[in-house]
Amino acid sequence: MKEDEMIICRCEEVSYEELKTTAAKYKCSARELKLRTRAGMGYCGGRSCRTMVDKIAATSANDRNRTCVSLKYQPPIRPISFKNLGG
Amino acid sequence: MDNAIIIGAGPAGLTAAVTCAEKGLDVVVIDEYMRAGGRLLGQLYEEPNGNWWNGIKESNKLYEKAVDLGVNFHLNTAVNNIENSNGIWTIYTERETFHTPSLLLATGAAEAPVPVPGWTLPGVMSVGAAQVMTNVHRVKPGERGVIIGVNVLSAAIAMELQLAGVEVASLTLPKTNQVTQDAGKPKEVLDSLLHVSHMAPSPFVRYGSKLMKNDFMKKLGVNFFPKKGVKMWDIPIQLRKAVTKIYGEDEVEGVTLATINADGEVVSGSEEHIPVDFVCIAGGLYPLAELAAVAGCPFYLVEELGGYVPLHNERMESPLEGLYVAGNITGIEGAKVAAAQGRTAGLSMAHHAGMDDLDGEIKNSIKRTEQTRDNAHIQFHPEIETGRKKILQQWDAYQSNKERSVVSNSRGGIT
Ligand SMILES: Cc1cc2nc3c(=O)[nH]c(=O)nc-3n(C[C@H](O)[C@H](O)[C@H](O)COP(=O)(O)OP(=O)(O)OC[C@H]3O[C@@H](n4cnc5c(N)ncnc54)[C@H](O)[C@@H]3O)c2cc1C
Repeated sequence: MKEDEMIICRCEEVSYEELKTTAAKYKCSARELKLRTRAGMGYCGGRSCRTMVDKIAATSANDRNRTCVSLKYQPPIRPISFKNLGG
Repeated sequence: MDNAIIIGAGPAGLTAAVTCAEKGLDVVVIDEYMRAGGRLLGQLYEEPNGNWWNGIKESNKLYEKAVDLGVNFHLNTAVNNIENSNGIWTIYTERETFHTPSLLLATGAAEAPVPVPGWTLPGVMSVGAAQVMTNVHRVKPGERGVIIGVNVLSAAIAMELQLAGVEVASLTLPKTNQVTQDAGKPKEVLDSLLHVSHMAPSPFVRYGSKLMKNDFMKKLGVNFFPKKGVKMWDIPIQLRKAVTKIYGEDEVEGVTLATINADGEVVSGSEEHIPVDFVCIAGGLYPLAELAAVAGCPFYLVEELGGYVPLHNERMESPLEGLYVAGNITGIEGAKVAAAQGRTAGLSMAHHAGMDDLDGEIKNSIKRTEQTRDNAHIQFHPEIETGRKKILQQWDAYQSNKERSVVSNSRGGIT
């Protein structure tokens, strides 16, 4: 397997190459990178790939915002079964 | 309604629980793991004075003390959201909802991943997972493995694996890319390791700390750094090698290891295959602050503390009324510092609950945290003190901003 093909976001199956080229093309923030590629928007809520998406974005975006977590956390921060969500 | 609720049963949360209970509060502790102790459970190492630090024993001691004092535990229970309305915190879990005026977040730290081609194969795990399997569950993660990522945590865990009879074929670097960045550059890694010299009775670190006073010497050191590596506790540490690939059909069968130059670039044609049956990735730790974020707590990014941390003062108060933080959520440090912070948080919560005359005790507890930090056996970032100062400055700035806006609001206050 080549480096470019390796999977960064497992839930949404987003590759290193896709993230890298998107970040380079749009010079975008981590949030925009997430919205464009869906990396970090899957089942685990970005628990596995958030720091990687952050780093790939930070290398092409100008400055990181120090006062605000770059990829927003949304409740529920852990998976809940449908049964309990409805109840 | 409970007097105090604590999320996280690691050393910080357990110590806070004991402290609150000793002051007469009704305390509930919630943790998603099935056992109390947090990351303390996995820790096992010899301290410079020859004593063994056994995390399971330390956890049990704290847990039993808390139970004896009447602390109510809800283990196996993940908190998925918290909310405040009218000064009362609501804590949501899948089964139950809890309420309290005084809430402590002691959720610890998480591991950052290291992406390497082939890292989605079964048999690849984080170094922390290997630690928990080995030291807590007493299951070998494999017979022979490599650890990718050289840092304080991975060096400590390599030694623990060795103790358990698991062979570590190499402690080495990831190939540098946009995610691994400095973690794949020998010079930067050597830099970050110099401050742990007291931890490692090895020729390589002694050699390092004496010689590498300035950047030039470091560069030189890396260039001279033997390609086959040096041994620490009998484990080869290879700063001039990087894993370019993890291979295997249905599971890990081995890694491809290449020689790299001082800047982390692969020397082509230097690749060799190392057969292993498991691989650990070690990308370092960052504060796990999800719940503070959903609560709307202000944050600040402090690299020395490991990442974004919720604003807090020395009393472990957050800017949100009735919300406290302690332990690794406030910055990555060892278990003893986390416990010391937990005690301060517990006292602040007792104070919030109306207990008088605690100021002296709180001040002492803050001082004791600093002493614990100074004497810490394990330090994750060499500039931890600088990081602590930065977050306190941010706290002060935030408070004076708030006061200023209150003043200007009341001046223009026709509404
Ligand atoms: C993999 C790993 C290995 C480490 N190894 C060492 C070591 O060898 N030596 C050392 O000194 N330090 C080590 N540390 C640092 C360690 O974090 C501190 O030593 C110490 O355990 C921090 O204590 P704490 O109480 O802040 O958090 P932790 O001990 O991490 O405890 C936090 C607890 O909060 C719980 N939790 C988190 N989120 C939720 C939620 N949403 N709902 C319910 N419960 C939740 C967790 O299950 C956990 O039990 C390690 C850290 C990690 C992550």
